[in-house]
Amino acid sequence: MKKLFEDFKKGQKAFGDDISSVVNFVLLTFTYFVGVGLTSIFAKIIGKHFLELNIKKDKETYWSELNLNKEPMENYYRQF
Amino acid sequence: MYILGISCFYHDSSAALLRDGKIVAAAQEERFTRKKHDDSFPENAIKYCLESQEITINEIDYIGFYEKPLLKFERLLYQHLEMFPKSYAKFLSSLPSWLNEKLRIIKTIKKKLKYKKDILFIQHHMAHAASSFLPSPFKEAAILTIDGVGEWTTTTYGFGKDNEIKLFKEIKFPHSIGLLYSTITAYLGFSVNNSEYKIMGLAPYGNMDKKINPYYEKLKQVIDIKDDGSYRLDMSFFKYHYSGRMPTKKLCNLLGGKIRNSKEELTQRHKDIAAALQLITEEVLIKILNYVHEVVKSENIVLSGGVALNSVANGKILKNTKFKKIWINPDPGDGGTNIGVALYIYNALLGNQRNSVLKDAYLGSEFSNEEIRKFLEDKNIKYYEFRDEKELIGTTAKLIFENNVIGWFQGKMEYGPRALGNRSILSNPCDSKMKEILNLKVKHREKFRPFAPVVCRKDVSKYFDCDKTLPEITDFMLMVYPIKEKWRKKIPAVTHVDGSGRLQTIRKEQNPIYYGLIKEFGKKSKIPILINTSFNIRGEPIVCSPDDAYKCMMGTGIDYLIIGNFLIKREDNLKDAWDGEKIAGD
Repeated sequence: MKKLFEDFKKGQKAFGDDISSVVNFVLLTFTYFVGVGLTSIFAKIIGKHFLELNIKKDKETYWSELNLNKEPMENYYRQF
Repeated sequence: MYILGISCFYHDSSAALLRDGKIVAAAQEERFTRKKHDDSFPENAIKYCLESQEITINEIDYIGFYEKPLLKFERLLYQHLEMFPKSYAKFLSSLPSWLNEKLRIIKTIKKKLKYKKDILFIQHHMAHAASSFLPSPFKEAAILTIDGVGEWTTTTYGFGKDNEIKLFKEIKFPHSIGLLYSTITAYLGFSVNNSEYKIMGLAPYGNMDKKINPYYEKLKQVIDIKDDGSYRLDMSFFKYHYSGRMPTKKLCNLLGGKIRNSKEELTQRHKDIAAALQLITEEVLIKILNYVHEVVKSENIVLSGGVALNSVANGKILKNTKFKKIWINPDPGDGGTNIGVALYIYNALLGNQRNSVLKDAYLGSEFSNEEIRKFLEDKNIKYYEFRDEKELIGTTAKLIFENNVIGWFQGKMEYGPRALGNRSILSNPCDSKMKEILNLKVKHREKFRPFAPVVCRKDVSKYFDCDKTLPEITDFMLMVYPIKEKWRKKIPAVTHVDGSGRLQTIRKEQNPIYYGLIKEFGKKSKIPILINTSFNIRGEPIVCSPDDAYKCMMGTGIDYLIIGNFLIKREDNLKDAWDGEKIAGD
């Protein structure tokens, strides 16, 4: 009886996981094509790039400014 | 004051504890969970750190985290925005873990640890920089951090003086020498974020002459390197910025074949590609370092980031740049950033003077003889107890000299990816068959991979062509040097195909028993060098506890286990034998 109950619980959990996978898939697909997709298309239309992908042979250096020093303490409480 | 540093959720989760600015404990989570490169929240490593100082979480003043998660998430979103719709699969696979755990790190820390005080977030490359500069012996030094990617940054340089660090310039994702190395690792059929060091070991079998190796010029097409060492990758050859796989078809065409299956035989073409990659990596590193020397004007350099694990390149730095001294953390990869964040908080943010030079890597868990005896008794294991240390050293040296393979479990576990003489497998380097014996009995690893020699620091110049002033980091097995010609045939088991060895040096004050063993072996063999390889089953993390060590011996062909003050002979305990190959991984 105990084993039956445990198996039932396992089955319920597996069913729950499957349902949440399906819901995740649907929500993430919607977010990707509507949220990310529309923004990306609009950005491409106005010529905005989010990553620098190209090699630039005419440039002398690829180093870019960082200037990372000690910041005010409150900045370190933030995740950004 | 106690500060806890944490890194997790990417690879090699780990924790480190600082007491009044001194590093008192550090460990990787994988050692406790037995899951290699475990990226989960390091609960066990934190528990060990706290228990080692007999404190509770309430006594921790600050917790530091090794990156700024939201900046990293921003980069991820930008990747998807730039690469839409190619990044769909990656979006589906990566976003759930961000939403479920990575963006909830404060909640996770507070809930799992029942912690109520401050959590500070340090930029990833600042954590790297701090992990290499602040525990170094240098008052001031140039700093180079170079890895796969942090939040946005892949490479930075800067300067450290006393307890301050400034990072001047950066190279940003997707351009990354670490990810180039990982991509070719994947192309050659090895696992990413795990087997990059194998490519380094494979490279000397290829053609290391830039003029003759055809893949050198081919690989140069994928990277544009400027005179100052700064670089960009031609992203048409890569797809890691939008896909789980790394090389594109274009890269496969360039290199003349498809991605190697891991079971496929390695050909000369694969070896030449590995050689070309190593040549390019060294070229970039040396160019950057020469430029950094010009800008920073310091005689000292500290390195960190995963690329700093490239011990072959490290061994060439002092010869090919104007730097006179070099230092690298025993764990320069992400696993070591926890030390960086903890020290950065104590020294840079709270303004305390530096007082923690890291002289050895023995920061992990340890077991007393009484604990080991209890384990042996509970498991009904037949053992012999040594009368004293002299007998332990004498017997072990004799067993090694007789070509037995020894599991060596003593003192505190090492911090970082290397076994440095407390969780090691030791054997005789003078026997020409020892490499095959080790592979047959224990390691079952690729034939091309070399074994590492350990030598007492005072003896090193007799056997190796080292830099004039031997860097302290040879103690952490982070430098490869040529073995002197006349000794190569005498220590064949640790001489790589190009005559080099990834040596570990040891000082008496760091580990007297290990030092004594090497010297005692030297009295018998006339060469005080041992093979030191990590104590693990292939694909498993290095052993942590007596139970792990015993299981490893009984699952492999290790002949004897010297654990604390006890000797265990495999043959006496065959009731516990099992086949470790069944669980062996990559």
